[in-house]
Amino acid sequence: MNKCKIVLAEDNSTLSLLLKFRLEREGHELLMAKDGKMAIELIENHSPDLILTDIMMPFISGLEVISHVRNKLETQVPIIVFSSAGQEEMVLKAFSLGANDFMGKPFSPNELVIRVNRLLA
Amino acid sequence: MDTSTVNLILEIFHYLFFLFTFSVITSYVVLSLISVRETIEYRKKNSFVNYKDILSSTISPSITIIAPAYNESLNIVENVRSLLSNHYVNYDVVIVNDGSKDDSLEKLITAFDLEKIEFIINEKIKTQPLRSGVFKSKNPAFEKLMVVDKENGGKADALNLGLNISKSKYVACIDVDCLLLEDALQKMIKPFLEETEAKVIATGGVIRIANSCKIKGGKLIEVNLPKNLLVQAQILEYLRTFLLGRMAWSRLNGLLVISGAFGIFDKNIAIEVGGYDTNTVGEDMEIIVRMRRHMEEIGEKYKVSYIPDPLCWTEAPESYKIFISQRNRWTRGTIETLRKHRKIGFNPKYGIFGLISYPYWLIFERLAPLIEVIGIIYFVVLLILKQVRWEYALSFLLLSYLFSILFSIVALYSEELTYHQYKKKGTGFKLILLSAIEPFILHPVILYSAIRGNIDYYFNKTIKWGEMERTGLSSSSSS
Amino acid sequence: MTTYQYLIDYYRELPFLIKLIGALITLSVILIIGLTIYLKGIRRYQRKKHADILKFKSEYEVMLVEFLYADDHIENEVEKNSFNEWLEQIEVEPAIQDELDDTIKDLSPIQQSIISKLRKEALVKSKRKIIISILYKLMEEVSGEMSDSIKVLYIETGLIDYALKKINNTEWSIKAKSIGELSRFEVKEGHYEVVKCMDHSNKEVRKEAHLYMVNLFQFDGLYFLNELKTPLSEWDQIQILEILQRFDDQQICDIRPWLKSTNDTVVLFGLKLAQIYNQYEINDTLIELLSHKSKSIRVCVIEVLTHLYGLEAKDMLKANFNELSLEEQLSFFTMLEKLVIPSDEPFIEKHLFHKDFEIQLLALKILKSINEDKYKVLNNLPADQKSKAMLQLENTI
Repeated sequence: MNKCKIVLAEDNSTLSLLLKFRLEREGHELLMAKDGKMAIELIENHSPDLILTDIMMPFISGLEVISHVRNKLETQVPIIVFSSAGQEEMVLKAFSLGANDFMGKPFSPNELVIRVNRLLA
Repeated sequence: MDTSTVNLILEIFHYLFFLFTFSVITSYVVLSLISVRETIEYRKKNSFVNYKDILSSTISPSITIIAPAYNESLNIVENVRSLLSNHYVNYDVVIVNDGSKDDSLEKLITAFDLEKIEFIINEKIKTQPLRSGVFKSKNPAFEKLMVVDKENGGKADALNLGLNISKSKYVACIDVDCLLLEDALQKMIKPFLEETEAKVIATGGVIRIANSCKIKGGKLIEVNLPKNLLVQAQILEYLRTFLLGRMAWSRLNGLLVISGAFGIFDKNIAIEVGGYDTNTVGEDMEIIVRMRRHMEEIGEKYKVSYIPDPLCWTEAPESYKIFISQRNRWTRGTIETLRKHRKIGFNPKYGIFGLISYPYWLIFERLAPLIEVIGIIYFVVLLILKQVRWEYALSFLLLSYLFSILFSIVALYSEELTYHQYKKKGTGFKLILLSAIEPFILHPVILYSAIRGNIDYYFNKTIKWGEMERTGLSSSSSS
Repeated sequence: MTTYQYLIDYYRELPFLIKLIGALITLSVILIIGLTIYLKGIRRYQRKKHADILKFKSEYEVMLVEFLYADDHIENEVEKNSFNEWLEQIEVEPAIQDELDDTIKDLSPIQQSIISKLRKEALVKSKRKIIISILYKLMEEVSGEMSDSIKVLYIETGLIDYALKKINNTEWSIKAKSIGELSRFEVKEGHYEVVKCMDHSNKEVRKEAHLYMVNLFQFDGLYFLNELKTPLSEWDQIQILEILQRFDDQQICDIRPWLKSTNDTVVLFGLKLAQIYNQYEINDTLIELLSHKSKSIRVCVIEVLTHLYGLEAKDMLKANFNELSLEEQLSFFTMLEKLVIPSDEPFIEKHLFHKDFEIQLLALKILKSINEDKYKVLNNLPADQKSKAMLQLENTI
């Protein structure tokens, strides 16, 4: 598999690090954002091949990130959202805004890797 | 009149003032101690709360945010966007356009893709009629939003229409120009849900001053201490009011005011008592007093709660002119409310509410400026009579000055040890310095506005009515 | 010397009041100066503490990630499998405790060394707090083998022992916090201590204890409701329901005992369960509750019965309508809206002019849904013969 650029927006730094480690071992390049604002900056400057974003984040939510990518930047880069239990409504909204896949928290990083690779294939 | 009578009168005055000063100081000391205790308790309790559960839960109770808007065209779209981005799941937003003369409604229609809908309003509280009607968005992304356009009737009237329209169990009444943090609703709803001993009828929040803070896209990015001295002084005043005063009163369950800028109410009780009073400029204080009175009268155990977290940020007046008119209005609001509910004062039937809260408010908030003016006149009389005992006068003055600094510092400590919002290096010292000069900046102006308020209330009835229209930023009450 | 003497004499002659004020002034000045200096210290300390936390946090995070990935062979195994095979694998719920014991034996040398390093760090209270908070937050986010590894780390570094000790602390906040921690890391060893806290005098402690039971024992954990004497707050209820919904096994136990509880809050909670888990089979118990002494329970029962298509209850309520409180009447009309049949028409017609606007409106809407013609007749009535609801509704068509 080719080396792909991935933007990861997640406010829990431990989880970020964990996923970064895991995905880098898969050979991807990770750009980390700790909130939605940073995520949008990174996406605009680096045009990644995939975006992973949490829904609940400080400043700008994952939903707004998706909407920015699809409506303002108008790119079809695959997006996976993370959501906590009970946020079904948010997940539906994320899909209607153009998310490609979702992972309900708590999730297994291995499962995420599989989904990432499937979307990048 | 012989000298002995004059002396006797002076002596009596002397002791009365001493008594007043002494009780003011004592009450502050007591309130500070209570608030410190309560703050520690609150912090302990919230150190392990998992707000994530309540926020995502679809079983959580519904809340309607009611935001009246009058000529807010400039920022309305941005503000509504911010209201829509709250993290709570089960809520909706009703913007009541109170007969604005500008293009607020058109702006909202374009920005949120609104269309007119037919909506049956159960007019439980009488309000001004609708103007253009009720609007909802065609875009499902804004399904939480409802905009109601009505004839102008003032803030209270607009809030009442919101109460009629809301289908939720709770309503959050806020000023449309306030910035709510994303977790505001879940934190504010908590007291309603966790109390089992008494019925929580309302929860009040803290108002923080947003001048000079960095705000982007309706989100608070960075907290800064403003340069403007008047605003700085108000920051200190708000810290004292909210972190010391209200915290203590909530502990005593004697809270009389919830800021009009941000409070959550049990909708059914708010409607039962008849909603907001449209005949006062202090509708935010009046409704709480009336709700409390209602609960006391039906004999049900109740509570008015308070959340000290910095959740709601608003712009404070930067010019003396606007500041004075704001405080003038607060003064009149207080007078009106206290007069309307005179029956409660010193009435043992109303418990703490009647025996402590009301008298405290009457003496230390309502009458304090008047007593102060009498004090000044008294001093002038003494000067003329060459009767001033300087060692008393000066030491009293110095002591009350030092005490006011001390209370500000205690408030600063509360802030530092809890929310610690002003993190930048050097701000701590600035704030201490500010407590030393604040009595000279703010106090004379507040005294002046309060006196003006009294004069306007008793002798200038026309102003009372002429000013019913909302004036935007300065309308966020928090006295 | 003379000035000194003079000052002393002057002071002696001052009246008592002035002396008192003088003392207070001196005290305030000292306090202000002291507090100013101390505030500076506090701010500096807080800044340093904040920086320290960040520093240690990133340090521990790296160690943690290293620990979690050190066990490489499990990962590779997963990667080799196809997606479908792997999916099957995760469906099998491991019996956590035994599994854990096995994993501990399997720890690699790198993992062992990380454990002993963290164990040493955890001796310092402030550092221990940071480590726990990292693990605690991560438990919220990851599942499966990863969360099992975190649990291993939690146990092996001895953090578990601190929590088990704290559970007996007399300070309620410490006690509550430790229960919360044991619940997050699913430590069953604290079970006996936690059970004692079900009716604890502090509501935070008892809430954490309830959540612990449900978190660890799922629906079985709810048995504490049988004997609960203290009220179960709404906040508590919502959190319990949230936890229950997270489990894969949604097979609920018999909720009837709770509906019969003498604790009203337990009854209300039972009603929520009945609605969420569609308990059609407990219809009879619900009907009994229609005559419960608490009005809020009665209203709630009508709502649940509406959800569960309680036709029998509908007829009972209809026959009894005039004896109901206004709230119940309103709730009943909401029920009718869903469960109406043509033969209800006369009843509905009778209440078209009910004193409550909401009921008028509902009655009118229901009538329209079952007999459009009759509705049209009403709509053509002159304005002065119409109800408030009719006047309002005509505008919307």
